[in-house]
Amino acid sequence: HCSSSSQLLLTLHFLETTLSSRSSLALLLIDSISAFYWSDRSEGGANISKQEEKLSKSSELLGRLLRDYRITIFATCHTIRRSTSGPSSSDTDRPYLCRTWQRLVTHRLLCSRQEAGPNQTASDRGDREQRRCQVFRVHCTSSSSTGTKGSRTSSFRVTDGGVEFI
Amino acid sequence: MVILREGMCPGLDEDLLRSLRAADIRTVEDLVSSDTEELAQKCAVSYKALFAIRRVLLAQHTAFPVSGADLYEELLSSTAILSTGNPSLDKLLDSGLFTGEITELSGGPGSGKSQVCFGVAVHISHHLKQSVIYIDTNGGLTAKRLLQMLQSETTNTDEQMEALQRIQIFRLFDVYALLDCLYGLCGGGLQQASVGGGSVKAVIVDSVSAVISPLLGGKQNEGMSLMIQVAGVLKSMAKDFSVAALVTNHVTRSGSGDVQPGLGASWSHVPRTRILLERVETPLSAGRSGLRSATLIKSSRQPLHVKQEFDLGWWSRAGGGPSGKRKLDQTEP
Repeated sequence: HCSSSSQLLLTLHFLETTLSSRSSLALLLIDSISAFYWSDRSEGGANISKQEEKLSKSSELLGRLLRDYRITIFATCHTIRRSTSGPSSSDTDRPYLCRTWQRLVTHRLLCSRQEAGPNQTASDRGDREQRRCQVFRVHCTSSSSTGTKGSRTSSFRVTDGGVEFI
Repeated sequence: MVILREGMCPGLDEDLLRSLRAADIRTVEDLVSSDTEELAQKCAVSYKALFAIRRVLLAQHTAFPVSGADLYEELLSSTAILSTGNPSLDKLLDSGLFTGEITELSGGPGSGKSQVCFGVAVHISHHLKQSVIYIDTNGGLTAKRLLQMLQSETTNTDEQMEALQRIQIFRLFDVYALLDCLYGLCGGGLQQASVGGGSVKAVIVDSVSAVISPLLGGKQNEGMSLMIQVAGVLKSMAKDFSVAALVTNHVTRSGSGDVQPGLGASWSHVPRTRILLERVETPLSAGRSGLRSATLIKSSRQPLHVKQEFDLGWWSRAGGGPSGKRKLDQTEP
């Protein structure tokens, strides 16, 4: 559990030594990369580059880990709505983390909640199946190094056994 | 940002510190991020010594790695589910408040958030015999109301006194005092508050939006970062000390006119479970002014938008008086 972005940076350095000793590690999950966004912003004062400094250092380190050790990184990021952009833009997909991180991201998955599951009419089944299943939609935008963009959308449901794609 | 100081680890003496500072290395992060070989050459120390210092500093300051199996065992043994005392609310919450998590109650004025908090506090201190910390930022908590609720549970005055003693109340009115209080609790206050044999199992903050929303808005970031700081302290307190955190929040109207909890999108990621309280406005309920409906708006365990109606008077059901926060005909002590 990291409690600040400096601790995150140090933990990533520590991970580097762990990764070099155990070559079977292939996946790094970060939940969430945007947790320290507001504390970094207030610590940096009025200077934007100072605000983003810690996250960009962590991102550089992550980039190096990606290249040297061939691991995959999954990171979650909370969406926030900027109140300064007018009432018409309820765009929740605006990337707001620093540029170094954004350059590192190759696939962006935007998850959203869909209202009303498809199996509401089954009245002869048991009570559990009648429960409205929350369906989530994920929209994936990939940008490869050559600059081409592709996108896909899928739906999934969260069940006791994990995430079930529809 | 941890600044390098002499004596932090063996081998870090003043000369080395001076040469490091000359090479523009002031904090632990700088030391760890820089190239060790280059730095060893610049500061005229052996590579081995610098590498050893780097390793010790890393071990001291990084987060402690826990294996999944250990985490699972720890969660199994330390998580408890605290019933709120009201069966309808318990059903909504998947049998109660979970320790280690933050639960949020939001609702408009008069929707019963504080009453629910009182009821939960009384239930935990009397039935479950555990201590509760109640942080009141509204000034809505009176001992008379707690006593009234307890009197409807038991007529034994000793038991009432014991239960009242297990509820520790803090009255604060700004966010810095709140942060102070929460840090103090984390630092040792929770152990001190464990009187009467029961350890602290719940921390109730009523309401967190009253101290934070005046700071939000505008171009300053300080309000947001204070809010996230409060969130961080509450979460780490809930996890480290195995307490259930219950917070209340006000409501605002969203762009499309729906009622939604306040404090914005950044706060919405903080609580694990969120409940929206509303008054029930039907002709049938005109006689029962204590009816409220609770909707589950965020939960990792239950399907959403499940509504439950419950009676605020449940916690004083053995014949208490009106569920008002303050009695107008009695003076405050």
